[in-house]
Amino acid sequence: MTASQLQHYAVLVYVLFWVSRIRGVVRRGKQPYLRGPNWFFNVPVPAGFYEGPGRQILRGYWLRMAIPCVLDIPAIAMLLTGHTSWLPWVIVALVPIIHGNHMYNVNIAERQAWQFAKPEEAQATVTSTVGLSLTPRRLKDYTNWPLEWVMALATVAAGFVLVHIYRAAPEEHSIRAVFWVPAFLLYLQLGALLVKRVIVTWRAPVPMAQTAEHMATRDAMRKYYLLMCDWNRMVITAGIVFRPVLLSASKAESELLIKIWLGVWLALSVAGTVWIEIRRKQLAEMGVKARPVRMPDLSGQAGMTKWPVCYQPELPMLVLQGDRGYSLNLAHTIAYLGAVYLIGMALLLMLARVGH
Amino acid sequence: MLLTIQTDDARPIYQQVADGIKELIARGELTEGTPLPPVRQLAADLGVNLNTIAVAYRELQKDGLIVVKHGSGSVVAPRAPTIRTQGELRTPLRTALTQFVLAGWTKDKILDLVTKELEIVGRGSK
Repeated sequence: MTASQLQHYAVLVYVLFWVSRIRGVVRRGKQPYLRGPNWFFNVPVPAGFYEGPGRQILRGYWLRMAIPCVLDIPAIAMLLTGHTSWLPWVIVALVPIIHGNHMYNVNIAERQAWQFAKPEEAQATVTSTVGLSLTPRRLKDYTNWPLEWVMALATVAAGFVLVHIYRAAPEEHSIRAVFWVPAFLLYLQLGALLVKRVIVTWRAPVPMAQTAEHMATRDAMRKYYLLMCDWNRMVITAGIVFRPVLLSASKAESELLIKIWLGVWLALSVAGTVWIEIRRKQLAEMGVKARPVRMPDLSGQAGMTKWPVCYQPELPMLVLQGDRGYSLNLAHTIAYLGAVYLIGMALLLMLARVGH
Repeated sequence: MLLTIQTDDARPIYQQVADGIKELIARGELTEGTPLPPVRQLAADLGVNLNTIAVAYRELQKDGLIVVKHGSGSVVAPRAPTIRTQGELRTPLRTALTQFVLAGWTKDKILDLVTKELEIVGRGSK
């Protein structure tokens, strides 16, 4: 496959990414009134709220939804100047930004809406009784072991084949040409595991009213996100396995193989996107059944969230939530690991350019 | 299995956690060898300081109700006869009964309540 064909493919992926984003924008746009006209997200609001102060809050929420589109400006510039090979990186950057922006956006909108909440209803959402699950929640409890074994064995086998390919004809392939892509994919695999750990350890207190509904929703959400992680990890493993196959094929064969690989990847992405939308709708319906509650702030988090980041070694939460939004706890182990991971990623990307 | 914590309870949180786990063990809902969540998980779920849960676990360990295995977490210990003296056990009972009498409860009413509570708590006793 030529460089020009690969660039066309990158444009196609970007266009498909945009199409899938439209559905996300519609879904997020409707999210404030998912519980009905008397609710704004999880805030009980009086009748006529959406015609009164709610109108401006809703408008602000919709406008902030567009913030990630700032990254589309360089993407458009790439499209216009023909540097389309960078487009996949824009997609990689956009995915976490869209999710992070949405999280903050909902928080801001809810905080604005609380000022107009129905007092008696608002009081009813505050719970003084918290239920804690005594079931240990560890990464291994949410691990599909047969799948892990398949992925591990496939990765090791691919590694052996790559070593064999390199040792058989070192003059034909440089170390970087043989090992950099699988090393990068392996590193992404490590990142996906880190994300899995965050999902598993995410705090999950439940109120003592509608406990079963709240627990079922939390567990379904957790399993959904973990499944997403595993899907991505499977694709990454397939990429590692594909590398030696590609290197051992002739030029004509490798062109055909890349076309098949990209075609399958595209078809699976489309099918996956459709499934994600269906599942998200089911989860939203499930979540609506449980009446929202506000958990008590037992550690005084409200006063610790003045800045987007904080350092609270005695608190085991990665993200603190208070009156002024969210704050990332830099003292949390996952925050350290995340920082080390990003530094490692930067080094790996620099390595790709060394001796290029 | 859920542990309930009430913010309007007069007891400190670590005491509520320890008492709640003790109650579940007494009722037989937490049986010997059952793993307990790590301190970090409970503290994060509740949104409290790590020490709060660590103190509760230490109390349970001191009472011989849980065994802390380094590297693999805490598990419910085998039920052994209590080594506390009758005097030690009688003091909190007398305090509680005094509260009921001062609140104006009749002897029959207190006995009825104690019998009911004993039925609930004693489900797990051998």
